Amino acid sequence: MSDYKKPLPESSVESKPFWEACKRHELVVPRCAKCTHHWFPASATCPKCWSTEWAWAKVSGQGKVYSFGVYHRAYDKSFQEELPYALVIVELAEGPRLTTNVVGCKPAALSCDMPVEVVFEDVTEARTLYKFKPVV
Amino acid sequence: MSTNLSGKYAIVGVGQSPLGKVPDLGPIGLFSVAAKNAIEDAGLKKEDVDGLITRGPDDVYCHHQKVGEALGLNVTFSTSTANGGASQTMAVAMACMAIESGVCNTVVVGYGRDTWSRTHRDAQAKQAVASRPRTYSEFGSEFGQFGAPVNYAISARRHMERFGTTKAQLGAIAVAFRNHARKNPNAFMQKPLTLEEYLSARLIVDPLCLYDCSVFIDGAGAVVVTSAERARDLKQPPAYVRGFGFGNRLSGWYEDDNMINTGAKEAGEIAYKMAGIGPKDVDTAQIYDCFTHMVLLQLEDYGFCAKGEGGPFVGSGALEFDGVLPTNTSGGQLSEGHIEGMLQVLEGARQVRHEYGADRQVKDCNIALVTGHGGNTVCQTALILGREAG
Repeated sequence: MSDYKKPLPESSVESKPFWEACKRHELVVPRCAKCTHHWFPASATCPKCWSTEWAWAKVSGQGKVYSFGVYHRAYDKSFQEELPYALVIVELAEGPRLTTNVVGCKPAALSCDMPVEVVFEDVTEARTLYKFKPVV
Repeated sequence: MSTNLSGKYAIVGVGQSPLGKVPDLGPIGLFSVAAKNAIEDAGLKKEDVDGLITRGPDDVYCHHQKVGEALGLNVTFSTSTANGGASQTMAVAMACMAIESGVCNTVVVGYGRDTWSRTHRDAQAKQAVASRPRTYSEFGSEFGQFGAPVNYAISARRHMERFGTTKAQLGAIAVAFRNHARKNPNAFMQKPLTLEEYLSARLIVDPLCLYDCSVFIDGAGAVVVTSAERARDLKQPPAYVRGFGFGNRLSGWYEDDNMINTGAKEAGEIAYKMAGIGPKDVDTAQIYDCFTHMVLLQLEDYGFCAKGEGGPFVGSGALEFDGVLPTNTSGGQLSEGHIEGMLQVLEGARQVRHEYGADRQVKDCNIALVTGHGGNTVCQTALILGREAG
């Protein structure tokens, strides 16, 4: 029985392979077989060329902070103790932007364009979250 | 082939419900009162209405049908819209297009919601909020993403780091609109607001504080749209629809640089072209202000200053009554109250009708720009109203 109190992702039919990869500590995104475009989250067609031929591809896990907002009010009780915490948009080296948190860095130390890399948190037996940490 | 509709249609009546805390009316009741007031303002009768475009709480299925039922209306053209805060300005444009097509002649357009009361009306409402299960999804809530302000905070942060925009500049927007609200007896926020108070207010999602966020109230607004020809025989000076335009960067707020350069650019270009004017011809702007930062972005995208210069522009006092662009002259959603942009449509029409006394009337007001924004943050609509048809 897990004592993890924060919401867990409700995966969809499209995102199931993504969360399974997180479980293996691998970050994957859809990559178009036709035009090589990477995107996120998954959709049936490549948003760039509309090809339906694509596969999940492992990415470098390197990226940079695109921007962020720092919560000073808990909209959900489970985040009360985290205040103030930052919700961060990370742009992967391959292009897609992910909504996430940056660990090992206080919100005041964050800035746009700072380099980060992926880390994985096994928050429950069934679920692993992708987060990022500053590149030292 | 296209037909330029500029000046062919007009807003001929405006009406609103009581605003603020109105616990004895629900969303449909609020809408009905606003619609009745708009029709009476126009000098028209219920029988003249043959079109109805509405929006209200998103949990009311086929909202227009509920409104029509309450008003006992049978019409030819009717629908509810689902383009968020861009819906209300869009609905005025849709009314013009519907009349042009010949399917109807006189359309009531409006929005109403019991936003304050549905969480505060009584013990039952409060309990319902307290026990409401949150809906969780993926790629957001597991990282603590909740509520609307964060999307705008993230955009504001990016704008600040890229262009040097400051909190005090965002504060100038909040202070200007509060000053305007204090001239409007129907505005919800009447307390003076200083820049110092703004800067020391509690943070919600940094960089946005309490006064960067719009005020949730109960209320409704409605307007009546008909042909310019018919408008000339009615009670009020027409507010001619000189132009409208749309821009929907549906690829997403977090894609490309959509959170810095918004679809308001396209919406404005289309609307200005239709009206045959440019930003320098706009006498007053009524900008969709769910958050201060959104005003700043739109002022840039609608061409009142260059991209990145929104901060200095608003910081110069441009938005005050004596500024170069008196903006949100009824107080806006930040201080009059958040009715999803509908009250900004009313205010734009009232300003070009010259219906106010000297303290609230924008001098020589011939052109008003009214904007809508919403629908997961990427949908934009512009509406240009004129005192003259062309």
